[in-house]
Amino acid sequence: MATPPIETDALVIGAGPVGLFQAFQLGLQGIACHMVDALPHVGGQCAELYADKPIYDIPGIPLCTGRELVERLQQQVAPFKPALHLGQTVQSLQAMDDGRWAVATATGTAWHARTVFIAAGVGAFVSRSLPIEGLAPFMNRQVWFASAPLPDLSGQHVLVAGDGDSALQTCLQAMDHAASVTLMHRREHFQAQPELIEAFRAAQAAGRVRFVAGQPTALSVDGDRLTGLLYLDAEGADVGLPCDQLVMALGLSPKLGPVAEWGLQIERKQLVVSTDTFATSAAGIFAVGDINTYPGKKKLILCGFHEATLAAFGAATHLWPQDKTLLQYTTTSSTLHKRLGLI
Amino acid sequence: MTHVVSENCIRCKYTDCVDVCPVDCFREGPNFLTIDPDECIDCAVCIPECPANAIFAEEDLPKDQQHMIKLNAELAQLPSWKSITKRKAPLPDADEWKDKSGKLKELIR
Repeated sequence: MATPPIETDALVIGAGPVGLFQAFQLGLQGIACHMVDALPHVGGQCAELYADKPIYDIPGIPLCTGRELVERLQQQVAPFKPALHLGQTVQSLQAMDDGRWAVATATGTAWHARTVFIAAGVGAFVSRSLPIEGLAPFMNRQVWFASAPLPDLSGQHVLVAGDGDSALQTCLQAMDHAASVTLMHRREHFQAQPELIEAFRAAQAAGRVRFVAGQPTALSVDGDRLTGLLYLDAEGADVGLPCDQLVMALGLSPKLGPVAEWGLQIERKQLVVSTDTFATSAAGIFAVGDINTYPGKKKLILCGFHEATLAAFGAATHLWPQDKTLLQYTTTSSTLHKRLGLI
Repeated sequence: MTHVVSENCIRCKYTDCVDVCPVDCFREGPNFLTIDPDECIDCAVCIPECPANAIFAEEDLPKDQQHMIKLNAELAQLPSWKSITKRKAPLPDADEWKDKSGKLKELIR
């Protein structure tokens, strides 16, 4: 299912706050871009780890949450309409003979990009799995990640592992057609939205879902079929719990992953950049935000904004070396007003 | 700079932190986890994961825990302390030890 590579002047890897602002700054330079992110939505860590937490150090915004910052950045970049490719993890990045970069995701989207901006933060967010052996042969047959589409659970005994929004949501959705729904977590304390906890408690009181406190330790298997789970209960005893389907709703965690294998100069697992254009060791590849390192580096969103701005200037020079890259102000420049769609 | 596991982890070892570490910098001892300062990239993702509030950025480490900077680095170098990248069950009496202080004498190398 190889689709032809997308030709683009710029590809931004990572749609967190710095990636979004990178797309905005590229837009001001007149450079159209594509964006790719492992998550099914934009926002990166701001959306995944700090959505409701307050941020106090964005210039000009005394207080906003991670979610609000992402919404504002989306509004800001909207005039430039970056092409978003979400839910896809970039696997490979290779130099082409003509100086461009061939980039491809694990799911088959590919680009030939003249410039690449790595704004990948602390890596791609991936689903966390249970810390037990032998899950692989049952994946997508009887064991599932809640973050991916689930099978028909009609008449099935379903066991859900987790304590967050997606764990409770999965239980509440499954109880209408499953034969039984059991939620398992270390202790009966949920880190979820209050209304979901309330709905779960109500379903529990009505006997439609049940909760078991425990630490899964192993799978119970009969031939090539998963028959249940062994777990350690609160008293430290080994107990068996039969199930037909096991859903892991344990949240997401970032993994630096393939970035380290792209042949770029790396120091302590971060990309080394120059501080004039935030170029990496490879011509045409820039690194901005938490993933880069340079003397004095601070992992702050506002520093990432500065990095993205200078990287966009660097990209303009790289793309059109014969042209002089002018500094223009959004207050007065008619060129920038045109690019912003104001005139 | 690095992140540092304080004494709070001793005899608990919940291991929630290792699941979220993007660079797999945790090392496991019999009743304590340590951070390899040469591997840690200061992303801070592990801090809120710890049920015992044991992890601090070096700069935020409480005064009475300063000795743990050196100890983390030292333990990370022990050959018997292997890399741990997947969460496992905490120590059986973790919940009882969680809020106790002065646990350094309990540390097993």
